[in-house]
Amino acid sequence: MLIKRKAPWWNVFYLIEVISGLLITMKHFLFKKTATLQFPEERREYSDRYRGLHYIKTVNNVENCTACMLCPTVCPAECIHIVAEERADKEKYPARFEIDLLRCCFCGMCEEACPKDAIKLSNIYEMAQVERIVLEKDVLLDQRGGK
Amino acid sequence: MPKCTIDGREVEFQAGENIVNIAKRVGVDVPVFCYHPGLSVVAQCRMCLVEVEKMPKLQTACSTPATDGMVVRTTSDSVKKARASTMEFLLVNHPLDCPVCDKSGECDLQDNSFAHGSAYMRSTEERRTFVDVDMGPVIQKNMNRCIHCTRCIRFGDEVAGVREMVAIQRGNMTDITTIDGLPLSTQYAGNYADICPTGALTLKDFRFKKRAWFLKKTPSVCGGCSKGCATEVHHENGSIYRTLPRVSPGVNKYWLCDEGRFLFNHAQEEDRVREVWTKTSSEATWAEEIQKFRSTLAQAGSVVFAVGSDLTLEEMKAIQVFVSQHAPSAVLGHFGTPGILTSSEDGPEDSILRMKSKTANLMGAEKLGFKPLQKASFDVAIVFTAGRAVLPELQAKHKIGVGLFITKEAERFDVVLPSLSMFEKDGTIVNHAGIEQRLRRVVPPRGHCKSISEVLMLLANTGKKQGVA
Ligand code: SF4
Ligand code: SF4
Ligand code: SF4
Ligand code: FES
Repeated sequence: MLIKRKAPWWNVFYLIEVISGLLITMKHFLFKKTATLQFPEERREYSDRYRGLHYIKTVNNVENCTACMLCPTVCPAECIHIVAEERADKEKYPARFEIDLLRCCFCGMCEEACPKDAIKLSNIYEMAQVERIVLEKDVLLDQRGGK
Repeated sequence: MPKCTIDGREVEFQAGENIVNIAKRVGVDVPVFCYHPGLSVVAQCRMCLVEVEKMPKLQTACSTPATDGMVVRTTSDSVKKARASTMEFLLVNHPLDCPVCDKSGECDLQDNSFAHGSAYMRSTEERRTFVDVDMGPVIQKNMNRCIHCTRCIRFGDEVAGVREMVAIQRGNMTDITTIDGLPLSTQYAGNYADICPTGALTLKDFRFKKRAWFLKKTPSVCGGCSKGCATEVHHENGSIYRTLPRVSPGVNKYWLCDEGRFLFNHAQEEDRVREVWTKTSSEATWAEEIQKFRSTLAQAGSVVFAVGSDLTLEEMKAIQVFVSQHAPSAVLGHFGTPGILTSSEDGPEDSILRMKSKTANLMGAEKLGFKPLQKASFDVAIVFTAGRAVLPELQAKHKIGVGLFITKEAERFDVVLPSLSMFEKDGTIVNHAGIEQRLRRVVPPRGHCKSISEVLMLLANTGKKQGVA
C-alpha cells in the first residue's frame, strides 16, 4: 500500500536543501581524495590473495606440475585439460596443459587442490582479449605471479 | 549351519570360511593387503587383525577360520591401534608419490591409509630406493612402492603356473623381482597389475593415460577366445582405456589373459576403416555402395556369405534370415580360427583360461546351424567379421567385406563397408561350455560405421521406401 505523507509547509522553501546539497558536492570536489584511478597509468594495489591469471610455478626451469590431474578433477568449470607423458628427467610431466580462460570462474580451487604447489593464480587481472583465450603450457610457464 | 557374531551381527557360515569373507557378507569391511580370494593365504601383512573373544591376542582375519559361537570385534580400540601401526610401518618406506602413481584412486594402500592410518608421519629417516628391472612389455615396475604382500609371487606360482617372481634380500631391503631379472614370460602378466595392492606393478599400456577416477565402467565379455571371460571395460569420452577381469566364479574366476586384456587396442587402431572404402574410388558413399551391392547380389551366379564366428548370435541370425529371404541359393558358412573349424576341435590352449578357438562365438554359430566354410570358387564373396576372426582365403571375382578391417586387410577386398567391433554393440555370445553371455556396447563407433543388421536392412529395402541409406 502506498503511504502518502503530508509534506510540511516549510518544504516550499526548497532553496535551503539545494544549497546544502551543493555544499556536499563542493566538499567532495575540493577537499576529498578522488575514488577513480587514471588506469592504466595508475593501478590499484590488490591483496596477495587476489585470484587472477594462472601460471605454473617452476623450480630451476622445471615445472612443479606432475600431471596428477587433481586440478581438472576439482575444477567446477571443467576448463583444464592435461595430457601426461614421461620424460627422461621426470617420471610424469604435463606434455600439454591448457586452461580455457573463458570458462574459468577464478574460484581458485585448482590452486587449493594442487599437491605440488604448481598451479597458481597471480594478481594479474587484465585479461580482456578480442579472441577466445586458451592458455597453453608455454604461456602458463611464464612466472608472472611471484607467489 | 554354524553361526558367529561379527560386530554384534550374527552370521551363518560354512565351515572353513575365513573371517574376512564372512564379515563382508554383513557389510563389515576388514582391510587386507596380502589376502586375495583367488590365492593362498599367507597372513603376513597384518592389516586384517581383529579381536576374537577368548583369544589373548589379535587374530589375522584372513587366516582364521570362523568357529561356531565365535565373537569377533573389528572396531575395538586395540584393533584400531593395530591397524594404525600397521599402516605406519607400511608407509615408513613408501614414497607416497600418489600424484605420479597410476594406482592412485584405486589403491588399497591409499584407501586403507585414509581410513585407518594417520595423516602425520613420525619417521624422518631416508626411504629406501631401488633401480627397477624391466618387466617386459606388459608390466611397469616401481619397487619403491612395494609393500611385500607377495600377492604377485603367489599369483605366478599358483595361477599363472610359472614361478617367475621372487623376493630377494630381507627386511627393509626385500626386493620383489623376477628370477635373474628376466622379463615376465607368462601370458597372464596383466593380472600382476590387477592384484598388486599398490602401484608397484602397473600396466605399461595404461601408463599415464588416464586417472582411475575418470573412467566409466561397463561390464562386458571378452571376445578374444571361446572361453568368454567376464570383463569390465573402462572408458571415457568414447575411448577405451583398459579392460579388467570381472569376477566370474564359473568362467575366469579373477583373471584375464593379456591377449583379451589388450584386445580393445585393435578396435581403436589408427588405420581402422571407418568410412566406406572401395578399391576404385575414394569418394564412395553408403547409398551408392548399398545400391551396387544390391545389384551385384541380383546378378551374381554363385554367392558365398562368409560369417565370422566372432559375431554375436543376433547378427548371425540376421544374416541367416537375410540369406534365406534374399539370396536363397547362396552358400553360408562360418570361419574364425584356422584349423579350428568345429567346437569339437576346440579345446584349452593352456591349463588356465585360453582356448584354441580365437573367436568367441564358435559354439553360437554351430547352435544356429552354421557349417564351416568350404573352399570353392564363387562369383561374389561377402565376408562378415568383427575384427577377430582370421580372414579366409576366398576364391571370388568380387569380394565385399562388412565389419572391422584395418586398411591393410581392406586391400584384399573390392568394397569394405565398415561395421562395429565387439566393443560397439550389444549382443549375445555362447562360450565353449554353452554359457550364453551378454556383450555390452561400451563406446559408440567413430566415423560412419553401421551395424550389420542395419547394412542388411538397407540391402533388403529395395528402395520403394524413401529416406534410406
Ligand atoms: S580457478 Fe577454478 S574455474 Fe578456473 S581453472 Fe582453477 S579450478 Fe577451474
Ligand atoms: S601405491 Fe598407492 S599410496 Fe603408493 S604412491 Fe601409488 S597410489 Fe599412492
Ligand atoms: S609388487 Fe605388489 S603384489 Fe608384489 S609384493 Fe609388492 S605390493 Fe605385493
Ligand atoms: S590380509 Fe590378513 S595378514 Fe594380510
